[in-house]
Amino acid sequence: MKKIAVFLVVVLLFSSLLFAGGAAEQESTKKSLRVATQVPGLITMGIWDGQAFALNSSIYEYLIEIDANTGELVPVLATDWETEDGKTWVFNLREGVTFHDGSAFTAEDVKYTIERTQDPEIGHLKKNDFAAVEQVEIIDDYTIALHLEKALPTFIYLFTDYNMGILSSEYDYASKGEMYPMGTGPFILKEIIPKESAYLVKNESYWDPELPKVDELLLYFVGDIDASVSMLESGEVDVVPQISPIIKKRLDQQEGITVVSPYQENRFIALVQDREPFNDNRVRLAFKYAMDPQVIARSVAQMELNEGVFYNESFILNEQAEYLDIPFRGRDIEKAKELLSEAGYPDGLSVDLYYASDHPYGKELSQTIKELSADAGFELNLKGFTRDVYLSQHWLNVPMSITGWGARVDVSMLLSYAYHSEGPWNESHMNNPKVDELIDLIKAEVDYDTRLGYYHELQRIFFEEGTVINVQVPYLVALSDKVVDYRQPLTMLPQYKYTDIK
Amino acid sequence: MKYVLYQLKRHPLAIIAILVILGWIFLAFAGPSLLSYTYTEMDSTFQMAPPGVNNHLLGTDALGRDILSRIIVGSRSILTVALFTSILSTILGIILGFSAGYFGKAFDTLFLRSMDILMSIPPLVLSMVVLGILGDSTIASLTLIVSIAFIPATARVSRGVLLSEKSQEYVQAARIRGESHVYIMFAEILPNTVGPIIVEATARFAYSIMMVASLGFLGVGLQPPTPDWGMMVIENRPIIADAPWTVLFPALAIASLVIAISIFSDFISKVLIHER
Amino acid sequence: MNSYLSTVFSKVGSLLATLLVISLIIFSLVELMPGDVAQMILGQSATEESLRELRQARGLNDPFFTRYGRWITGVLRGDLGDSIYMQGVPISSILWRKVGHSLFLALTAFIIFVPVSIVLGVIAGVKEKKAADSIISFTGLATMALPEFVSGVILISIFAVRLKWLPIVSVIPIGQTLFQNLDILILPALSITFVMFGYVSRMQRSSMIIVMNSDYIKAARLKGLPERYIIFRHALRNALLPTITIIGMNMGWLFGGLIVVETLFGFPGMGSLLMTAIKTRDVPLIEACVLLITVIFALSTMTTDLLYGYLNPRIRFKGGQR
Repeated sequence: MKKIAVFLVVVLLFSSLLFAGGAAEQESTKKSLRVATQVPGLITMGIWDGQAFALNSSIYEYLIEIDANTGELVPVLATDWETEDGKTWVFNLREGVTFHDGSAFTAEDVKYTIERTQDPEIGHLKKNDFAAVEQVEIIDDYTIALHLEKALPTFIYLFTDYNMGILSSEYDYASKGEMYPMGTGPFILKEIIPKESAYLVKNESYWDPELPKVDELLLYFVGDIDASVSMLESGEVDVVPQISPIIKKRLDQQEGITVVSPYQENRFIALVQDREPFNDNRVRLAFKYAMDPQVIARSVAQMELNEGVFYNESFILNEQAEYLDIPFRGRDIEKAKELLSEAGYPDGLSVDLYYASDHPYGKELSQTIKELSADAGFELNLKGFTRDVYLSQHWLNVPMSITGWGARVDVSMLLSYAYHSEGPWNESHMNNPKVDELIDLIKAEVDYDTRLGYYHELQRIFFEEGTVINVQVPYLVALSDKVVDYRQPLTMLPQYKYTDIK
Repeated sequence: MKYVLYQLKRHPLAIIAILVILGWIFLAFAGPSLLSYTYTEMDSTFQMAPPGVNNHLLGTDALGRDILSRIIVGSRSILTVALFTSILSTILGIILGFSAGYFGKAFDTLFLRSMDILMSIPPLVLSMVVLGILGDSTIASLTLIVSIAFIPATARVSRGVLLSEKSQEYVQAARIRGESHVYIMFAEILPNTVGPIIVEATARFAYSIMMVASLGFLGVGLQPPTPDWGMMVIENRPIIADAPWTVLFPALAIASLVIAISIFSDFISKVLIHER
Repeated sequence: MNSYLSTVFSKVGSLLATLLVISLIIFSLVELMPGDVAQMILGQSATEESLRELRQARGLNDPFFTRYGRWITGVLRGDLGDSIYMQGVPISSILWRKVGHSLFLALTAFIIFVPVSIVLGVIAGVKEKKAADSIISFTGLATMALPEFVSGVILISIFAVRLKWLPIVSVIPIGQTLFQNLDILILPALSITFVMFGYVSRMQRSSMIIVMNSDYIKAARLKGLPERYIIFRHALRNALLPTITIIGMNMGWLFGGLIVVETLFGFPGMGSLLMTAIKTRDVPLIEACVLLITVIFALSTMTTDLLYGYLNPRIRFKGGQR
């Protein structure tokens, strides 16, 4: 009995050591880029899921993309585009591009992708944005014209959105889109093990012969960010997106690993306009007076304010060109208490705060603002849920929430999502005719300076009676030093085709 | 009583265990008023401070919160849940197990079948799924669900002890006297079976602490900022290399309490079962 | 032997009945879930018409028992349905692979803790009240008191972070199988072992003490048989029975431990899959995972029961001989 036991243990240990050694020796000559990313929900684009970015931008491709360094538009499937009045947009499409199944990419596919946004069965997120398209006119196989019902000077930016990857008009995405997704992108999906991993190989017939730079892209779906980072530290992966500042601090001390921050993200604290207690602007103001951006920056991200963490009371990143620098109102507990009693809450009040507890900065931010606002008499009851549950069950329907928002290259896209009274993601239930009017004006205004003026006016309104506090946090990506040229613009889509491995 | 003292002398470990348990109970009651920090206060100048710095006896976590205060406040919730769980599951177990054993026949068969069914889902899986599905756990829901998951164990023990007492003379006598069933079960039999039941209840206490901690780890336990020992371990795992105290102390807290209760439960079983 | 076979049959029969009831319970439990499956799939901004269409298409509006019937007949045919998130992807294609991994992990833990704790328990029992006993007993008590995730974190920080001997995360590299990466099993298996070791070795110790003090062992000693022979031939056999019971009783804890450990190490098994399913509220996947865990758990409990019954009469017979 004893002997058998000892024998078994020895055999087990030995065999594991043998296998471990064997695996390490299997160095191939192929260049592979290995990424530990979050578990994706739906892969086919259109619905809210954002965890599949790595797959979106590798399997599919967009008409245009954003240059990660300059922020300019870069032609991809569209070679060029023009508009005279912002009402009619003509795109010339790249010739000789094929889908992974061998079929040719033509104007028909662009038309299909655009018309798919209006399909009631899908519930496409771009439905409202593309509702302005009156007619899609195919001029020839490689030229397409879009006729809009009104002038939209920044319409072009809609095509950089992660939901707008070009799909094949002949492919059955409804039944095959999740197991066998297929597009024109730089990588072809070879195998996907649901909730575990995906194996992608270089698209040999990619239209740009220089790209992609690596031979294969290996995506591990790891739910736990600590586990992903451990994989990076032990050399099992090269890229880990969306790490937390605490982990960054640790990784900064390690050789062979660099943490980059490709862009800033918003965390919108929504003070919902039509629900108790924030239906009274005085309560919203009181809450704003109770905040302390410096403390928020330190507790949430262990960073100093304006060095990685930014704060304002509107919809925009401080680094964006349209930002209007309104000085912080200052923390004033007396004033906050005064406003609260004027609003009829002399003894303070209690409100439920909903947030995604497994999303970076969620737990920290919620607990910090709970502490800060307690001084003025707010009692926040924290209601944390996993991100999926939070987004699908609670968000948009609660008196107060914290939500992570990627910024949009064209700020008006975000405005019409989140702050227009008819926006699909109007989380703070903002319903302000002046705001609606300004958003519509911004979308239609051709002249940049006039548009800028509208943006500034909008931010002043937000400062006075807005429904949001915007804490901006860095999106952090940890890279091994083998990774060359990691690119990820504000669209949140990583551009793995440019990335090389040393 | 003399016997207890005699046993205590023979088991010095049990004395330590009892002191540890009493210590935790004392801290849970009086602790928060003795502390210089509240459990949510964020000391933004001393984040991840090692033990001793700026009056943080056990250091601070990444948000600058005092580890000691969080552990002590956490002991309140974990002790409450564990205590009520062991009480509730024992009471429910006694009611079910006693009635099944006492009335026997079809009722007993039904009881055994349903316990088989409840037992065939592992307790942690059952609690995790239910809490995960309901979301937003509170002390009440945690207690209730863990208790239900524990019922098969406590009910089986109760049924067992009842069966061994059922044929005793005093039970027969009570029947002849015409006492009601409820009276016989709870006023006659129960006092005579208290020993094994208390032993089982203390064992349940230790189990529930482990269970609540594990549920906290899985993220279906109490909601932050209520500190939960299991959650503290896992929350601070990313900084274990830089600030080991943030993980070590909550882990020690769990271990000390569970070990103490296990030793205590062993001791109780020696005392109570020998006494008879 | 015939009566033994009939016991086996009746056990299997009651197992099937149990499972049927359990499936109903699981199904209604998931029904309790707040929120709407269609909304879960389409997200908060879905329009009312698209929600209606989806409910219609997936039969979500049918009465409870119609849906249960559809599900359970599917399960009996081996069709566990589709995951919410992955339309057209049968759950069975995700699940079986993970079940295999989990079973292998459980088996590894089993192979480690059963012999180790029995051997150490025997040593402690034989050397009652000596140094070896105290060390083993206290270690057992300490490991028993540490939930798997705590011992796991400790093991990680020693063997993976400090010494770098073993991987921190149990991820199988793409294109490889578990068998090419057996080293990922060690830390998770050890974490499970810790808790189980405490229970099993303590039980083994106390039953060993009882047996060693029994008359027939004393008689064997008087006969002048070598101590080693007495321990392994006579005592251990009798002292194993309670241990088997305790192993069987702790199976439930082992399965719970699997979930915790798999989550901690990111091990691709059904425990971590169930956790993902709960986090994302993937209803069919939750149902399938819980049902499967129940089946496996029930089967293993039944096996220990049968093993016990198989060993027991012989032992009683032997005991009568002394």
